[in-house]
Amino acid sequence: MEILKIEFLKLRKKTRIWLGPILVFWLIMIAYPLTVELLQDRLQIGFFSVLWIAILISMMLATEDIFTEDYNDGSLEQTIIQESSFQVGIGLKVFVYWFLIGIPVSLLSFIFSFGTTQNFELSLPIFPLSLISSYIFLNIFVLGNSLSLNKGSVLGALVTMPIALPVLIVLGKGMTALQFDINFESFILLLLGSLSIIIVLIPIVVSYIIKAHLE
Amino acid sequence: MTDNSLIIANNISYKINENKLFHNLSFDIKGGRALHIKGKNGSGKSTLLRIILGITDPTKGSINSAASLQICYLGHKNALKNYLTMRDNIHLLQLNNHIKLNKYLDLIGLKKHLDVTVSSLSFGQQKKLALLRVFLNSSNLLILDEPFVGLDDDTHEQLTQFLSNELIEGKGLIFTSHIPCQIKSDLLELNN
Repeated sequence: MEILKIEFLKLRKKTRIWLGPILVFWLIMIAYPLTVELLQDRLQIGFFSVLWIAILISMMLATEDIFTEDYNDGSLEQTIIQESSFQVGIGLKVFVYWFLIGIPVSLLSFIFSFGTTQNFELSLPIFPLSLISSYIFLNIFVLGNSLSLNKGSVLGALVTMPIALPVLIVLGKGMTALQFDINFESFILLLLGSLSIIIVLIPIVVSYIIKAHLE
Repeated sequence: MTDNSLIIANNISYKINENKLFHNLSFDIKGGRALHIKGKNGSGKSTLLRIILGITDPTKGSINSAASLQICYLGHKNALKNYLTMRDNIHLLQLNNHIKLNKYLDLIGLKKHLDVTVSSLSFGQQKKLALLRVFLNSSNLLILDEPFVGLDDDTHEQLTQFLSNELIEGKGLIFTSHIPCQIKSDLLELNN
């Protein structure tokens, strides 16, 4: 619990880190209708694709420096030396990022979805889908960031981007299922299943990668 | 492990590429004893500390630790967050509820800077803040990498006194220092 409080304090005080990705998401969603001319009266056609890509990009930006600061100032060394579980610490750190960035982005997703489609029933499932997908994306990019800890975050994001693509495909299929009302829940369960594996595996893998960097 | 031993190093060697930093080092740290590691720049002092801490693996040899070992480490990097205030950093170090916090804040003269961001503090003041981790430790082995760098004479003296008292209380101490100090210690000199 104390680790959670500490991570929350650290992220809350770094306004640029948590507000930046939310603003980028907001800007992309605002820019979408402004850049579409022929489809002005049928904005919902491309909306969901843009939405998922915007979530992907904002989560990529959110994790840009997730470990860099702790690596540079020696905090990671201290964490490893202490008895507390390093893997749990990483998992909690990702959770805090999701709480402060992923949840607001998911709320905005619902608001923009409703604003664009004017369809509450279609927009409501966007909220859980965004919550789950943003958490999955965060974990994937955390893995990338750890891989390129002292080599710049772009490299890591590029390396792990292919892992995020299947999630985008599932999200696209899920939206089709939702629009045609065919077994949408199975896509939610599929994403939840993937998330449950990822939130356990990624912190373990990342902890080994970071230890290797410190060595 | 013998009764009072905290750490036993057995034939430790470390090399980077083909450059041997040290070869077949063996030593034993007991409670109440200090080990001063000396050597020129690049001789492997910090690397040896990292091996003892378990962060870096030795090329050869092993480190055995006591089951009850709890380490307090202060390295070159202070593990402080520059964008946070001193108060927040003390919270991050989980020392905010420590019974002796006020005493040591007074002692090192930082009490009036509690709401100042760390980036606004001088190098020496940042070092003093990092030293709170040492002053308020609850471990049985202190590992300090150049702890006297950046300290004024008074704080140097206070730290020396504090570490000497910790040794009397039965804690172990391993430290590197280029700055002469009055801590009674065994000497380990690294010179390739």
